[in-house]
Amino acid sequence: MSVTSYTERPSARIDEAEGLTVPWSRPRPRRSGVSARVVSAATILAVLAIWALSARLQLVSPVFLPSPAAVWAKFILVARDGFVDATLLQHVVASLYRVFAALIAAIIIGVPVGLAIGISTVGRGIFDPLLEFLRPIPPLAYLPLIIIWFGIGEPSKILVIAIAMLAPVALSTAAGVRDVSQERINAARSLGATRIQVVRHVILPSALPSILTGLRIALGAGWSTLVAAELVAATRGLGFMIQSAAQFLVTDVVVMGILVIAIIAFGLEFIIRRIERVLIPWAGRD
Amino acid sequence: MQEWQAMPHLVLDKISIHYDGQAAPVVERVSIDVAKGDFVVLVGRSGCGKTSLLNVAAGLVAPARGSATIGGEPITAPGSDRAVVFQNDALFPWLTARENVAFALRLRGVKPSERARRADELLALVKLDGAGDKHIWELSGGMRQRVGLARALAAEPQFLLLDEPLGALDALTRERMQTTLLDLWTASRVGVLMVTHGIEEALVLATRIIVLAPGPGRVVRNFEPGFSRRYAAGETIRAIKADPAFAAARGELTDAIFEGEAA
Repeated sequence: MSVTSYTERPSARIDEAEGLTVPWSRPRPRRSGVSARVVSAATILAVLAIWALSARLQLVSPVFLPSPAAVWAKFILVARDGFVDATLLQHVVASLYRVFAALIAAIIIGVPVGLAIGISTVGRGIFDPLLEFLRPIPPLAYLPLIIIWFGIGEPSKILVIAIAMLAPVALSTAAGVRDVSQERINAARSLGATRIQVVRHVILPSALPSILTGLRIALGAGWSTLVAAELVAATRGLGFMIQSAAQFLVTDVVVMGILVIAIIAFGLEFIIRRIERVLIPWAGRD
Repeated sequence: MQEWQAMPHLVLDKISIHYDGQAAPVVERVSIDVAKGDFVVLVGRSGCGKTSLLNVAAGLVAPARGSATIGGEPITAPGSDRAVVFQNDALFPWLTARENVAFALRLRGVKPSERARRADELLALVKLDGAGDKHIWELSGGMRQRVGLARALAAEPQFLLLDEPLGALDALTRERMQTTLLDLWTASRVGVLMVTHGIEEALVLATRIIVLAPGPGRVVRNFEPGFSRRYAAGETIRAIKADPAFAAARGELTDAIFEGEAA
């Protein structure tokens, strides 16, 4: 044993750390979460300020980086008069429609598939390899094939998004089902529950927190697939709007579109968290 | 047949339990007979297979050899004639206390108003009046076990199978729960098969104590302490525990449990 390896021992490091008088290493009474929010708000403001300043000083050409004011003005303009033949609201609605249609399809297929994987060995044997095959493929890779098969219409776009959402929904459901406490299942059976009643009254509600987590991940995945799906032969949608704007170098619309996508994603996350609080108030408390 | 219906027995006959992948059987040729109205308690050191035996009675584990019957019918699956209460209450946190108790009735398609009424009766029986709308996570450990008991009773079982139901509770709550258990047993006259680690608990509750020894699990002693009959006749648990006969029985039972164990 060399001397250096001796000083590398964790215990030696802990002694060292205890000798230090770093203020933030001391335990302090926990204050409310407000301070973290203030810091976050300050960070966002700082980014905005740097953005505004560099635009004002013309550090970068406005073609590449429009000022926040220009983006805001464009937001108002597009919201009122539209861009490429549709108002901002129409673009948003077109995109949300695709994402939610895909989400519903992913739930209708993914939850039963996840249940099958979690409950039965045969189900796992059938669906696990299929999902594991599908999961790592980027949606852009199978988009062309889907267009060849299903054309360039709305179904193809929804299908691409739904495929991206399927794996998270099914795998989270399966994980939730596998984590169901055996004791709860036994309790239900000893109270007279049939197999189907166990699934309906014990397994599904037990797996609900996990299923909702899957939906959240799926919404994220779907929302990011959206832009790719809308690159092809769409006439409306946020992805299409950004793509068209980029072709004409209308950077302020591009930036505005990106911000709108971010804000909607944030809003969806917020809504799902509210839904979780209503549907599964017990999660994490038992 | 008439005789069975009048007095159903839960019978484990020369049961051997062998888990897959284990060389030795967990339990070998254990026979237990629980009549309706009996309070049979299984005690023994870890590994003696008492919970496995309870699971055979519940229909959750199939024995390698021997037969398990209830009222003469073989036990092949769990059923509401033998409701189980587990150590970790195994309540459903997405339901309120009342909905948990009413679970068995819901499975049978009893009308909501009727099952709420019945659940409230049972909650009152386990001294949880007015807690029906509470969520499970709002209840203390003792209250949760009371809900678990009420939920099992709602199935109108002939036998209650209790798997260390008081094991996770603090001493004071435990003592209070023992009284509740005895009251329920006296009132309902179900047959009880219970597993416990508590020696005093076994003595207070049981009409019959079966001492098991491990390696493989087998019956080494049978006690009929009779203290629970004295409680049913009106004596308090505290008075019973203060009786020198109780201390003597405790010593004898402790010796029986640890007999043959290497010091």
